Amino acid sequence: MDRQYDIIVIGAGNGGLSAAASACSRGFKTLLIEQHNLPGGFATSFRRGRFEFEPALHELCDVGEPDAREEVGALIDSYGAKVDWVQVPEAYRLIITGEGEEKVDAVMPFGKQAYIDKMEEYVPGSRESMEKFFYLADCIMAANAAVAAAGGQADPKVMMKEHPDFLKCANYPTAVVLRKLKMPLKAQKILSAYWCYMGVNTEDLEFGFYAAMLHKYIVNAAYIPRLRSHELSVAMDRTIREHGGTILYNTLATKILMADGVPVGVETTHGTFHARHIISDISPNAIFGDMMDGGKDLPEAQIRAVNARKIGARGYCCYIGLNRSAEELGVHEYSYFISEFSDNVKEQELSGTFREHPLQATICLNHAIPDCSPPGTCIMSFTTFFTKDIWAGVTEREYTAKKREVALKMIRDFEKATGTRIEPYIEEIEIASPATLARYAMVPQGAMYAYSCGEGDGLMARLQMLAEDQRVKNIRFASGYGPRLYGYSSTYMGGDMAVKLTMADMKEERYEKV
Amino acid sequence: MKKFNFHVKPIGLLDMLHFKQMVPRRRAMLQSGSLDPITSVYAVNRLAQSMHPKRQKAVVSAIIPRRDANTYVLKADKLAYFRAGQYVSVKLTIGDAVTARPYTLAASPARALEGEYEITVKRAQDGFVSDYILNNWEVGTEVTLSGPEGPFSYEPIRDEKEVVGLAGGSGITPFMAMARAILDGTEDFRLTLLYGSRTKADILYADELAAICAATDKVKVVHVLSEEEAEGFEHGFIGAELISKYAPGTYTLYICGPRAMHDFLAGELDRLGLDQKHIRREFVPAPASPAYFKAYTGDASRVYRLTVLALGEERTVPLRADEPVLTAIERAGIAAPSRCRSGECGWCRSRLVSGQVFIPDSMDGRRLADAGAGYIHPCSSWALSDLTLEIFPE
Repeated sequence: MDRQYDIIVIGAGNGGLSAAASACSRGFKTLLIEQHNLPGGFATSFRRGRFEFEPALHELCDVGEPDAREEVGALIDSYGAKVDWVQVPEAYRLIITGEGEEKVDAVMPFGKQAYIDKMEEYVPGSRESMEKFFYLADCIMAANAAVAAAGGQADPKVMMKEHPDFLKCANYPTAVVLRKLKMPLKAQKILSAYWCYMGVNTEDLEFGFYAAMLHKYIVNAAYIPRLRSHELSVAMDRTIREHGGTILYNTLATKILMADGVPVGVETTHGTFHARHIISDISPNAIFGDMMDGGKDLPEAQIRAVNARKIGARGYCCYIGLNRSAEELGVHEYSYFISEFSDNVKEQELSGTFREHPLQATICLNHAIPDCSPPGTCIMSFTTFFTKDIWAGVTEREYTAKKREVALKMIRDFEKATGTRIEPYIEEIEIASPATLARYAMVPQGAMYAYSCGEGDGLMARLQMLAEDQRVKNIRFASGYGPRLYGYSSTYMGGDMAVKLTMADMKEERYEKV
Repeated sequence: MKKFNFHVKPIGLLDMLHFKQMVPRRRAMLQSGSLDPITSVYAVNRLAQSMHPKRQKAVVSAIIPRRDANTYVLKADKLAYFRAGQYVSVKLTIGDAVTARPYTLAASPARALEGEYEITVKRAQDGFVSDYILNNWEVGTEVTLSGPEGPFSYEPIRDEKEVVGLAGGSGITPFMAMARAILDGTEDFRLTLLYGSRTKADILYADELAAICAATDKVKVVHVLSEEEAEGFEHGFIGAELISKYAPGTYTLYICGPRAMHDFLAGELDRLGLDQKHIRREFVPAPASPAYFKAYTGDASRVYRLTVLALGEERTVPLRADEPVLTAIERAGIAAPSRCRSGECGWCRSRLVSGQVFIPDSMDGRRLADAGAGYIHPCSSWALSDLTLEIFPE
């Protein structure tokens, strides 16, 4: 087979699929290498008995209707990938269960006005602060668009003149801004529910990112592919091949070959492939560490920069197929956030332990796709995460029991919080721990959220430092470890961005040659 | 909605300082990292590798001869832990063919931690692989295995505390692992095993089962003989009547045995009125011919042509209509991925570029999107025409 390519993409997760599709649709000779036997990474599906489970995706914002696509929907359309998107019914239901906590049980709708009205219903007197919140979110969206239009390098003077409110609020922690808006505490709790999609508490999570994310969900609504994430990944695989790209599955990249400080090829379990440009959909730890002898020939600053990054939340998910319908069970919502405390700093801290009441983001898939399982059944998934590497101490022998213990806690907490009975109706169950993520996606520590975006390593800082982060030429990151952060939307956009940056790298190379 | 008053400065008291500090702050963070070798392989990654190795090597350390079968004890410094009921895929090169077969791990998982597995290979009719193993493996033979696979394991969240196991012939092996795991405390449930054999002499693991039953009251075994009547043994086939006779009040049924046993049981289980939740079936390998399935309309006597695309290479090989597509690939000496060989696990997932195949509903374990996009599991697909297939070698 061909051994010479313009661009080699390592990893066929969301970012890698997007990068490969973007690269080959622009005419680059592209090789996509994936260690697993199918595309998608976390964006996949699996079957047990008469159920096919969605492993990862709860909701993808930024898709939009076919005639009014948003950013990610438009990008996927532009690749030519055909996906049957289904809109999820409501934004979320938040339940706070802890002893001594003010009871919160709120079902929040999509739509800016509906969201503000509903909040006013739950928290009288919240309207003004909510309107201000959405005003700021609009400012942030406008500023982001301006920065994007300027190719990521906006003129500070223009930004100061045109987007002062953005500059004033965007880099502050979310909770600081919400307090400044004098938002009632209960409204802050309800509005902050999505924090767990980033794994970083709102005293740390930058407002610019959180407000933009919430805005996208609430204003644009959210979607999932009808046949689970695997439908999206298979559609991307197809479009890459149709554009002349080459995909190798069951192929593990083992070494980056370097010459004069730039990559010249990749060694894999199926031989060596050559290219001067690499787009990584995997972690810098793997690229600069395991594939470059621990980084021994890299500049010191690069070694320090990788070792300084903080691994983000480690994923855990319990999937169940039930032999009763959602209606019979009394499971009325698509998306639940259930937590013990409204204080998400405390939640994040406790999520670094095997705690009694794990935070949970729970989905009943049938509320979005009624026929995703046979009549009289339904599919649920219970997701939590670990903010510390506590699975490291679990032995092989303890492992299965430990997985079960966490699952049972979440299922029983769900039952208590919603007054339902789930456990007797479990027909199929599968549990993915951080070790499972490590197995299938080879992510460090089972991280589902790449590098944490907390503690100053947020979106804006990454984007501002794009040039200086590029210490090794011609290697770009499409994954959640890259400049665009994690999550389906971010990595899809990140894949395309990595190709644009690679094109700039190519231009620079040509310039240097002249 | 009234348009929001843009002249109000909602965050008048916040300033741009934070924004200005953003880059210096992150720069300092990045400079604070250590100069230790970079790695992505942490303890959890090693745990995952240890439990799910892509390949394992072991050596046959003992052979226990049985009637038309051998039990092989496999040893290595380290073997992956597993859940009682799981299997490994044994990789074999036989003549020009490269193939693999799933064998259930019959020892307790606790033994794996000491570097020991056990499998039992029974001579099958026209058993290309079982003949090879029984005729060739000896003490000292080096074998290559996959990691442990398969969902045929007790799950306390889902299953009842009482399990009724229905075993036929060499289908006893997962129940051996379960019974041994109950005995040594690895598993905690009660197992009533109805074990069907032709005659007393055909019973595999008879002594071991008796010893376990004597040592724990959590395991009970009822032998059911189809071709012999004997004192203390049930006679006939395992069906609703026998299950009702020995089963406790509420239970989960686990079934492992030949295809004929599953077919016979299908009607019997209806009579028991069990929920699907309470019936767990081990995968059933492909039958000798697709004509076995009522829905098959092809001509099983045909020989088609299969063009295999792999890693940019292309080869065309003969394709017998009466064998799963996977067999044709393996016969040609092309190493194709496989594990369960029953349509379920998806390891052999391949892209059908052109041609028609027959896939029986009962063996169609494909993901929905795969089925729509032309992917097949060649272990459970039979050719209805010439085919072109892209496979993804490991």
